[in-house]
Amino acid sequence: MAEQLTPRSFESADPIAWCPGCGNFGIREAVKLALSELGLKPEQTCFVSGIGQAAKAPHYIRCNLFNGLHGRTLPVATGIKLTNPELVVFAEGGDGDGYAEGGNHFLHALRRNLDMTYLVHDNQIYGLTKGQTSPTSEAGLRTRTTPCGAIEPAFRPLALAVMMDTGFVGRGFCGRPRHLADIIKQAVQHRGFSLVEILQNCVSFNHVNTAKWYSHRIYDLAEEKHDPADRDKAYQKALEWGDRIPLGVIYKSGRESYGVLARDMTEVAGTVPDGAASLRGGDCPPLATSERTPALVDRLLANFR
Amino acid sequence: MSELSIVITGRAGQGLQVISRTLGRMLVRAGYYVFVTQDVMSRIRGGHNFARVRVSSGPVAADGDKAQVLVALDPALVARHLPDLAEDAVVVTEAPAELPAGMNAVVIPLADLAREHGEDPVMANAAAVGATLALLGLELDGTEEMFENQFAHKGNEVVKRNVAAVRAGFRAVEDDHKRCCSHRLGTPAHGLGHDPKLPGSFGHVPRHVLISGSEAIALGAIAAGVRVVTGYPMSPATPIVAYCFGHAQEAGLIVEQPEDEVSAANLAIGAAFAGARAMVCTAGGGFCLMNEALSLDGMTEVPLVLCVGMRPGPATGMATRTAQADVLFSIYAGHGEFPRAVLTPADAGQAFLAAQEAFRIAWKYQTPVFILFDQFMADSLWTVEEDDLRTENRQGRQERQASEPMEAYSYRRYKPTESGVSPMLVPGTPEQLVYADSDEHTEEGHITESAATRDLMVNKRNSKLHGIRQELGEVKVEAEVEAETLVFCFGSTRGVVAEAVARLQKKGHKVAMVHLRYVWPFPAEAVAGLVTKGKKVVTVEQNHTGQLAQLLLQEWGLRVDGIVRRYDGRPFTVGEVESELEKMMGVGNG
Repeated sequence: MAEQLTPRSFESADPIAWCPGCGNFGIREAVKLALSELGLKPEQTCFVSGIGQAAKAPHYIRCNLFNGLHGRTLPVATGIKLTNPELVVFAEGGDGDGYAEGGNHFLHALRRNLDMTYLVHDNQIYGLTKGQTSPTSEAGLRTRTTPCGAIEPAFRPLALAVMMDTGFVGRGFCGRPRHLADIIKQAVQHRGFSLVEILQNCVSFNHVNTAKWYSHRIYDLAEEKHDPADRDKAYQKALEWGDRIPLGVIYKSGRESYGVLARDMTEVAGTVPDGAASLRGGDCPPLATSERTPALVDRLLANFR
Repeated sequence: MSELSIVITGRAGQGLQVISRTLGRMLVRAGYYVFVTQDVMSRIRGGHNFARVRVSSGPVAADGDKAQVLVALDPALVARHLPDLAEDAVVVTEAPAELPAGMNAVVIPLADLAREHGEDPVMANAAAVGATLALLGLELDGTEEMFENQFAHKGNEVVKRNVAAVRAGFRAVEDDHKRCCSHRLGTPAHGLGHDPKLPGSFGHVPRHVLISGSEAIALGAIAAGVRVVTGYPMSPATPIVAYCFGHAQEAGLIVEQPEDEVSAANLAIGAAFAGARAMVCTAGGGFCLMNEALSLDGMTEVPLVLCVGMRPGPATGMATRTAQADVLFSIYAGHGEFPRAVLTPADAGQAFLAAQEAFRIAWKYQTPVFILFDQFMADSLWTVEEDDLRTENRQGRQERQASEPMEAYSYRRYKPTESGVSPMLVPGTPEQLVYADSDEHTEEGHITESAATRDLMVNKRNSKLHGIRQELGEVKVEAEVEAETLVFCFGSTRGVVAEAVARLQKKGHKVAMVHLRYVWPFPAEAVAGLVTKGKKVVTVEQNHTGQLAQLLLQEWGLRVDGIVRRYDGRPFTVGEVESELEKMMGVGNG
């Protein structure tokens, strides 16, 4: 009989290297909860991460894992998803990884809308490199690299995502793992690119945006009957920051995912001959298992006569 | 061996690449060997571009000397080419041009013919093809079939108009100018079994094709089972990706042009990790951006093929021109130490095989393999025997790793082995998990800082180079002579050097060529066996610093006796290599 999946099924034996009290622990609980409730076996998922404290997270759960370079999570995840659409692909990392080093990839992943879930642990600070300013640091935040306070205003990734008509835009908080797990589940179930921004404290380096600071400000959009299909409203909510910070599903687009569009385009353009069934996602089988006939090269060669 | 050269000149936008290819293909179909080079400026309209078409009854892999025929789509460009023409050359042009005594002008209203028969002034290029064929005494049989092959994707109407324009150009010469040209091609050499009405028949079953280096790389990759191709547009690598885009559906390819080269490389790595044969295509500047991904690839032990095109640098350099200056860069690119192979194919035939070899080695040794080429090799059109583009077809196919039965969830991606190569599973394998990590990692693939594990993994990764070295095979002297001077070259200079060396041998020089179809792992032992005491060694390379000479010194302690270099962005000519080598060999050596 198949093993009953519980959060424990996703428990990794790898020793955890985060600071005690780190917000990442709550996020890890939420991810394990979501995966078990989605009924996914560990081998059906593939997590891709970059570098940073958040990027270590996939080592601490049981899943397929590609822990690549700082900022490069989304391109690797894109390659994996295109090649094997059957895998449930997650990209996971921090605010520096995703919005600074990976900023260009982030922008284009929103535009591409490939079916995957991007979990961004946003603590508004660099942890691994010991406390430098990040793209989401509030103006005025004093860090090692901004001794007089950050000069630039904070980047608002959710507003950009709404502007780009991203498939799914949501926000959770590490201190509310149950709520966060529900957001992650909805993100996975959405067919298209899903951005889940996770507010997180950093006990070592961010002494402004603490767990307490967040607790006083966050509220659940579900309680306000927010309609995620209302893009104008979603844009307002995505920009709301300060005394009140919304959590929940901010925006959902009706836009078709990249995989489905690519598959449809292929079908419209004509039939695909022998063994060429897999093209760019959709419901195609993994490329690793598809074969190709030798006659193909002869056919292509004939065009040069 | 009878041969002649044709120069076709015009402005960007006049269809020079199309016309030179069309003419070349018709000549190949007629049974000749053809070699076409393109001299193209980095602009879309205007300027001055030209193509050189060398036609011969024997194999040709280099540009010819003086041209016998000049086809000028813009009469104003005639004067610029006069120094490159034979004394009795024929010039095909629209308007009378001033020519030195001995040359003949064939004035044909190409644009009018194009408008009248091809319904489009750009068809002047097709009319010029017809005129040239008539001048050389060839026939037009098979024209339709060839255009159908070449322009099938553009529809019947385009094929029809092209054919009409070719015929009009042909007739114009037949009627008025046939005797203007004394240049005739001799009996074709290949294509036995064709129509006996030779020369100039198109009746035989073609056994040679005219193909560019880029197309040969793409075709070779497809034959080797590539499934995911990525690239961000940059000369000279763009045509490889373009070919793949054009045949994506037919060949079952995923072809992606992502936001930048960083993404292109990482995307290909993700695809390969997930189980697809993947290739990323770029040129020097783009490859700079991929260095970090290359290092990632070495660390995570993901198989990957990189097609890197060389053009003159540094920085933007000369975008549409050629160089061989990124050899050392390719060998050392990426931080940290990890094994790789760098293949340097000479021509389209070798490029096809290099693609096969690259995929075979990359997947067998789970490490990056380069196909390092240059603009000259990629953009030139080469006559290749069809069978040479089939030979290894089957070899490159996905070799499934026979996996032993494994306990559930016990897979270790980086399990140490004698060869350094660990069994590779893809994510999605039932009851197994795959971890890949850019950090130094344990056998399972988790982050570690253990000194012992670090040593184990460094040794494991780098030990793969031994196997790659065995895999790449021999390097030999390409002549049966007792040579006193060995001329070393790599990549696309092979054709030019071979011809120059052959000329010198005829003059009595004891000289032979050694061409390296790969430069890394450097074949030091093979080289040591070839260069025995007392032999002179010279390199021929398209760079300033003598990078091959540096490798010979570094890898085997050999200080070369001379370096023939060129770095102005143009390919070597046979004549200049011949005279430079002659100078270096000194008087009394012949």
